[in-house]
Amino acid sequence: MPEFGDVVDSNFIYSSGQIDGRIYGESAISYSGNPTVYHVGDVVHLPYQSGERSTIEAIGLAWQAFATGGVPE
Amino acid sequence: MAKKSGSSFGSFNRAEKFDLRPVVPIETEFSKGSVPDSLYASNRESAWSRWRRGYEIATASIYDNSYDYPFIYAVPVPRGTPTTTGNPPTIPGVFKGFPTTNKEFGMHWAGIRVAGSLRFDNVVDSGGVRASIASVTEDDDFWYVQLTGSWSVANPLPPPLYVAIPGVPGGLKAINGEILEDRVINPGDPPITRDTIDPTTQKRYGYVQAVLEDTNPFTGVLKLRKAGSVEATPDRALVTPATRPPNVDRFFITGTRYCCSCQDFNRRDYAFMTSLSTVSDSLAKAFPRTNLSALKPGRYEIMTLSGVVDNSAMTSATVDRDMEIVSPSPAYNVPPTVTPTTSTVPGAARDNPGVFRDFGGMYLRSTPDPSVPGSKAEGMPSYADYAASGNVITSLTDVWTPLLDEVRYCKHIYAMKYEEGVFPPEPSDFPVGIGSMAAWEQKLVKDTEKQQASAKAAALQRGSLSMMDVPPYNCQAPMMMPMMQKLFNIPSTFVKMDGFTMIDKNGKKYIPASGELPSV
Repeated sequence: MPEFGDVVDSNFIYSSGQIDGRIYGESAISYSGNPTVYHVGDVVHLPYQSGERSTIEAIGLAWQAFATGGVPE
Repeated sequence: MAKKSGSSFGSFNRAEKFDLRPVVPIETEFSKGSVPDSLYASNRESAWSRWRRGYEIATASIYDNSYDYPFIYAVPVPRGTPTTTGNPPTIPGVFKGFPTTNKEFGMHWAGIRVAGSLRFDNVVDSGGVRASIASVTEDDDFWYVQLTGSWSVANPLPPPLYVAIPGVPGGLKAINGEILEDRVINPGDPPITRDTIDPTTQKRYGYVQAVLEDTNPFTGVLKLRKAGSVEATPDRALVTPATRPPNVDRFFITGTRYCCSCQDFNRRDYAFMTSLSTVSDSLAKAFPRTNLSALKPGRYEIMTLSGVVDNSAMTSATVDRDMEIVSPSPAYNVPPTVTPTTSTVPGAARDNPGVFRDFGGMYLRSTPDPSVPGSKAEGMPSYADYAASGNVITSLTDVWTPLLDEVRYCKHIYAMKYEEGVFPPEPSDFPVGIGSMAAWEQKLVKDTEKQQASAKAAALQRGSLSMMDVPPYNCQAPMMMPMMQKLFNIPSTFVKMDGFTMIDKNGKKYIPASGELPSV
């Protein structure tokens, strides 16, 4: 069961060959894991609970404030 | 950008000799060649061209495209809003850079808002009833989805589905134009995917994706467009248009939202300010200007800091600028009556000298084919622009809406859709005037790889792409802020630097506004 904010579905997972083949400029650097956390095709799990302010509610408040000249905190 | 020869005072009085030989066809705003050059225009505007080039960009750079900047944006709340505990409202997404030699600072920046950012199981009516899909009716072109709940004039759909604005009939429907997907089975459930299997039937659930055309806030009915809809079938295939309506009792989420800062997506043409300092460039010493013939009435925006115009491309991670939209008449302010972020300048044209030459237009898909309900191939585009009668503007139809899917996708978004695994079928409008398809494709592959390598080398080695040239530091640039508003679908004043939490290549989070940096 995914946790809050987890990526549920990702169609873009680099293979080991692709990760090895990726180039970050000319510098020798080290990295681990999947180079990107979110990518196109991802679906995020955001089940806001009662008492929390959901993203859709926050965007609604923003538009409502904008319509009346409100500003963000 | 038109070049103004002899712009220095040293050649101010230079006499121009007329010579017939160098006479060339007139260059128009978006085309090169004689006017009208329908052949060139059809190639340039072809959906097929950008579809094919998008594929090439994706495949040419899949191994070495290191310009992915994942982020989590914390949405600020209006001043005076009570604080809440628990998980804050966030928008996850990715900025993706496409190296180019045809853009300021050598990079087109595209953005993605991850699917599932907005969930309808968080939408409730006045009685606390969650807005699931109660029923669906349909006609040839649309599905009409009734949301569960008690909706009326006294209790309309909540923001952002509907925001009442005094004196504005219809109010503001900020969600119109979003892609909706019926992917939440029960409140609080993770969104289903193409692979999710229903345990009771042992078959895949499947889902439907469609663009929200309109919202009736007083009846709770959403109008979803059949044309362009996508269905994930029990066979895990994606088919378009969808063969069935959204499933009753499920909850909608928003689909992946794309936006790009490139000229093609924005329908804009930029002045290259970086070119001005290049001594060898022919634009050196020339102030960018706009041809009189290209001036059009309309809206444009200006970035300001403390009321002073500030068009610099990069900002400190702690500075927030304002975006002011300039309109030729109060009737076309966006949205009407809003202050102070909209101002009226009579006769305003779509030209912000030194920044933009054209504000852009809205891409309109053609009307559906009545013989095939819900079916419409993406064909030649048309653009709504403005209309005037007797030197009075009677309508402005530019892109200042949160609408996204109406805007034609550019090759960068096609590239991202390819990587997402939802690359659309080949458009039917194959460009004309191409002799050998095979030869053309081989040249395209070769040229794309060469151009990508060249553009990347220019950005990294000669141009010295710096930390300040990449998101979120450049997010308040004049070319980025309009894209940010459309991508997040929130007012630009709510796009603040301190809201960004970035994720580096190792998956480590860092907050630029706090002075944190990615790991090396």
